[in-house]
Amino acid sequence: MKKFVMALAAGAMALTATAAMAQDKLTLQLKWVTQAQFAGYLVAKAKGFYTEENLDVTILPGGPNVAPEQVIAGGGADIIVDWMGGAAAARDKGVPLVNIAQPFKRSGLMLICPKENNINSVADFKGKTLGVWFFGNEYPFFAWMNKEGLSTAEGGDVKVLQQSFDIQPMIQKQADCISVMTYNEYGQALDAGYGPDNLTIFNYTEMGNDLLEDGLYVMEPTLQDPARVDAYTRFVKASMKGWGYALENPDEAAQIVVDSDDTGAAELAHQRYMVGEVTKLVDPNDPALDMAAYERTIKALVDQKIISKAPEGAYTTVITDALK
Amino acid sequence: MSRLQRILAVAAALVSALTLLLGLAGGISVPLVIFGVAGLLTVARFFTPVSLWIDGAVAAFGAWALLDGLELFDVEPLWFWLALVACWLFAWLFVERLARAIRAKAMPDALGIVIPVVFGLSLLFAWEVVTRGANVPQVLLPAPSMIWERLTASVPTLTADFVQTFKAVLAGFALGCSAGFVVAILVDRSPFLKRGLLPIGNFVSALPIIGIAPIMVMWFGFDWPSKAAVVVAMTFFPMLVNTVAGLNASSSIERDLMRTYAASYWETLFKLRLPAAAPFIFNALKINSTLALIGAIVAEFFGTPIVGMGFRISTEVGKLNIDLVWAEIAVAAVAGSAFYGVIALIERAVTFWHPSIRGGRT
Repeated sequence: MKKFVMALAAGAMALTATAAMAQDKLTLQLKWVTQAQFAGYLVAKAKGFYTEENLDVTILPGGPNVAPEQVIAGGGADIIVDWMGGAAAARDKGVPLVNIAQPFKRSGLMLICPKENNINSVADFKGKTLGVWFFGNEYPFFAWMNKEGLSTAEGGDVKVLQQSFDIQPMIQKQADCISVMTYNEYGQALDAGYGPDNLTIFNYTEMGNDLLEDGLYVMEPTLQDPARVDAYTRFVKASMKGWGYALENPDEAAQIVVDSDDTGAAELAHQRYMVGEVTKLVDPNDPALDMAAYERTIKALVDQKIISKAPEGAYTTVITDALK
Repeated sequence: MSRLQRILAVAAALVSALTLLLGLAGGISVPLVIFGVAGLLTVARFFTPVSLWIDGAVAAFGAWALLDGLELFDVEPLWFWLALVACWLFAWLFVERLARAIRAKAMPDALGIVIPVVFGLSLLFAWEVVTRGANVPQVLLPAPSMIWERLTASVPTLTADFVQTFKAVLAGFALGCSAGFVVAILVDRSPFLKRGLLPIGNFVSALPIIGIAPIMVMWFGFDWPSKAAVVVAMTFFPMLVNTVAGLNASSSIERDLMRTYAASYWETLFKLRLPAAAPFIFNALKINSTLALIGAIVAEFFGTPIVGMGFRISTEVGKLNIDLVWAEIAVAAVAGSAFYGVIALIERAVTFWHPSIRGGRT
């Protein structure tokens, strides 16, 4: 009888133990294809930081024509990496996205012009063709043009070209200036023989026209559940640990990114360059949203009529406060 | 009454009764009560003839009552969806009976247009009720009323986009079809070319647009010429193949007759073989009209100045303005159908002699 009771008790304890070991499942939707722009998350998964926090994380790569806001609205992901412009626009359209963390403190967006096009300042933009990416990446550019008073409509001061996600328009001389990310297309330009000595570079952060870029967003109703909020907190903690690791070990991080890429498109040399540049934009010790940058971003979006009014409750500090 | 009509009639009356029962317990609106009662009363058709227009009227009234009752609840109760099903059943019954009546010559043929119109309207109506009633997020599927609102508010944008895309469509269509036509005549003239050029035409048509479009943008620049180039690549092969088939359509007895008249190759071509090939050529033109529009819109996804239907669709998807995307789709659908219709009308005029136009059977 005593043995039987002991066996029962042991069984009950084993059951509760397995219940506690059950990991929280989270799906992360990236804003673009698997590349070092998302090194923190890829490193955290590869090095087991998520498992340490009792999380089972699936990372979904994005790509052209994948809008993370639509994926989360359709229930395909729990957390998305998105630029604040896109997330605010989605919130305005009825998708209740809330910013829970902002790892990217600085913007990596630049506009570069070959020196032979004689564009040395904003005043020289009149009558020129400027390449701009769309899909949520156009808001910083249009906000800047609005600030400078240059019209971008048909027949306006500047001609806007929908640029493909590479530097072809500059090489083919179809655009006078093109948009690049410091960590991606600028590297392609450097490889093609361009550099600071033969390019005029307009860096959005230096000009003070930067809008907030990669942040983490979740659906507002899920924040009502304390268990979910706890899962998100652990996720952000492990992700920032991943970013810290990537900063300290860029070569290993680049290798992890290449290994994580199922398409085989990622090249080690380019990803190593990207890791170096991206970690300059991230602050691994502080994922909190910077209010000045937030206000500036929202104001630019409202002025541009991308959103009808400043949103309420578009961000929460619950998670970043818990990590302080 | 056919078996299908009997089943539909019973089902419609039953579902109306259920709607009434559940609804009376759960706060149903007055118009929907009237609809439920009317639906139930149609069982009278088993005892005395009930005109098919009554079914139509019940369906229409039900549609109006449902649209009216959308605002009543945040989460629509079961009886609301049952009412939608009942309304759909009555519309189906109406269309079924009308089709039979027209076939049996009890109703004039001209009324036949009612059937596709009713079908289209019920689809739009069901879409509206489901998206608004089930609170489908606007970023996944907007309601037709929202799309219409956006359409009427964005006419200048839509017009500018339409003009830009159609420059590419018309230029590409004209060039591609003429090129296909000319090559077909060359192929007909020379057996050497027939063996050499036809397989290449096949190859060109198999190239995926998604692959050609960026290359054309690199060759011809960002503006509409590169889109026209893509359209040329898409429309060339159907025109070539159909014209070659058409040129072989005249029978040997007719060609022998031209030979007895000492007609030269070109006289035979223009007076006999091309008119005989006309049905085939128009076939190709009709196919190409839709392909051209598709080609131009898809090509605009790959680098374009900021105007054009493809550009607008791809970027507004990125901005989650799905209602504007649907408005563009609606404009593209109407424009494509109009383009096709114009070619069909020209075909009727040119191939007036063909049995299919004369209403007979070949």
